[in-house]
Amino acid sequence: MKSIIELKNLHKVYATGTHALKGIDLEVKEGEFCILLGLSGSGKSTLLRCLNRLIEPTSGEIHIDGEDVIAAKGQKLRFIRRKIAMIFQQFNLIKNLSSLTNVLTGKLGYSTLIHSLTFPQHKNDVKIALENLRRVGLKEFANKKTRNLSGGQQQRVAIARALMQDPKIILADEPVASLDPATADSVMRYLGELNKKDNMTVICSLHFLSLARKYGTRVVALKDGKIVFDGTPEEIDEKKFKEIYGEDAEEVEIR
Amino acid sequence: MKKENKIKSIIQAILTDLLFWIYIFGCISFLINHWFEKTIPSNFVVIFGIAVGLITFILGLSVGRKVFFPTIRTDKKWHKSFWGWSVFFILLITFVVGWNLVEVDLYKLFTKFRNAGGILSGIFDPNLNILTLCLTALAETIYLALLATVFAIPLAFSLSFFAARNLMPRTFIGNTVYIIVRTIATIFRSIEAIVWAIIFSVWVGIGPFAGMLALMIHSVASLTKLYSEQIENIDPGPVEAIKATGASTLQTWLFAVVPQIISPYLAFTIYRWDINVRMATIVGFVGGGGIGLLLLQQQQLLRWQNVGVIIWLIAIVVWTMDMVSAKVREKLQEM
Ligand SMILES: Nc1ncnc2c1ncn2[C@@H]1O[C@H](COP(=O)(O)OP(=O)(O)OP(=O)(O)O)[C@@H](O)[C@H]1O
Ligand SMILES: [Mg+2]
Repeated sequence: MKSIIELKNLHKVYATGTHALKGIDLEVKEGEFCILLGLSGSGKSTLLRCLNRLIEPTSGEIHIDGEDVIAAKGQKLRFIRRKIAMIFQQFNLIKNLSSLTNVLTGKLGYSTLIHSLTFPQHKNDVKIALENLRRVGLKEFANKKTRNLSGGQQQRVAIARALMQDPKIILADEPVASLDPATADSVMRYLGELNKKDNMTVICSLHFLSLARKYGTRVVALKDGKIVFDGTPEEIDEKKFKEIYGEDAEEVEIR
Repeated sequence: MKKENKIKSIIQAILTDLLFWIYIFGCISFLINHWFEKTIPSNFVVIFGIAVGLITFILGLSVGRKVFFPTIRTDKKWHKSFWGWSVFFILLITFVVGWNLVEVDLYKLFTKFRNAGGILSGIFDPNLNILTLCLTALAETIYLALLATVFAIPLAFSLSFFAARNLMPRTFIGNTVYIIVRTIATIFRSIEAIVWAIIFSVWVGIGPFAGMLALMIHSVASLTKLYSEQIENIDPGPVEAIKATGASTLQTWLFAVVPQIISPYLAFTIYRWDINVRMATIVGFVGGGGIGLLLLQQQQLLRWQNVGVIIWLIAIVVWTMDMVSAKVREKLQEM
């Protein structure tokens, strides 16, 4: 299968001097569900944000779907970004706007300024947005302000917003870390479905091995800014686990 | 302690001592001048201050040392140490000089009460015949405050984005724009509305238009600051999320920043109108028209009954504005 993300020798040094990524080489194939593991501070968020240049990498190469991400500027960068949807731990919805408006913002990369200011007038956009809300089971919440939704519902609105981008890739940064186990699993199920049915490539950082085993087709583990493991979820045994999380770590399973 | 730091602290300590003693001799010379009408030449004060400062510093009797070498601990209580007495003395002499400069006169305060009788009786017996005239002037004041606020909003709104650190990229252009907008806003804000009113009353002539311009300039500057601080406090998460959808910078501002700031903006703006109504009265005194100007004229003519009407009207307006603005802001909080 063809690879959709290619990273070569990627480095990120923050202005504070922290060397967060120390030469990442990674190739992700189309249709993979790639789980990022690693201790807090190992560089997972930094890596995900470098992929769509929310963070500027210090050096290295990023190619996504054949395009040179680092060289892209202005319009070109916007067009790359709209193919890559992002899901966040804190959902990052605009809390005092309705679910529908939040989902419509997923179309911003495809819209001119005038068009985006008149979203509600564009029947077609609204139709797709409602369809995406229905897909995550929230159609009747369309006109509710997102601040009044539960965490799990907010994350599903965020998924609907991501769908609005019609993305090839979904980057998810600890999408279920602020949810209870049952809700976490239901949110992961939506990501799993997008991966299988819509053939979207997913890169998702997680803290739970159980979820990694259930949904991941591949696991990449970071430690101190370097890749220390790259394989299938089944390959992570007691010994590998201790390598990733340190000698003192116990495997905590949440089903 | 590092050597450079030590030298720096010593210099700071010496300078503190010199200023300390120059100030003390300055105060003493003022008092001698005030009480005995003898003039002490100022260069004498400075030379004397420097000399005493250096001598005491060398002798180790130093306030500067105490401030800049806090590590040197003495077990002495303040009233047994030199620096303690120095600080006590400087506070005392400052108070005595202040009392004399301000011409505090308790005798006048308690015995000349009757002089204010005119104003007081005016307040309790206002001349309602001039009510129409006063209401016209009052309308001028309220509307000039309203226009000043309304005109200030779009200007401050646009400027605030360029004065927000988190929105301006840390590139050369970004930094320059940020610093220029911030500096201009700070300078314009630090010039009081009264000063602007004096400037504009010369520029466009005495009257409400001058007052409006004065309040507008001041409002733009201070709203820009308040607004941009609000932007700096927004949750950065949605900004990240909207950027990631491929939105342009302007779209990101409109969809991720504006919804987060709209309700505090409204609150600030209403509060500003409230302030502007009060200031419009004061600004009227120096040529800004409206009720302030009328108050000044009537007061100079010693028409205390007319002054009484005006005072009542101002009080009612300020009180109403206060209530309305508090209520509206309360409602906004709930949104
Ligand atoms: N904006 C920043 N400025 C400076 N240093 C940063 C910044 N963001 C992250 N870092 C540092 O970079 C390193 C990697 O951080 P990162 O957030 O990528 O880790 P993470 O694996 O996502 O951790 P977590 O599981 O806690 O989210 C850490 O040492 C962190 O302190
Ligand atoms: Mg993280």
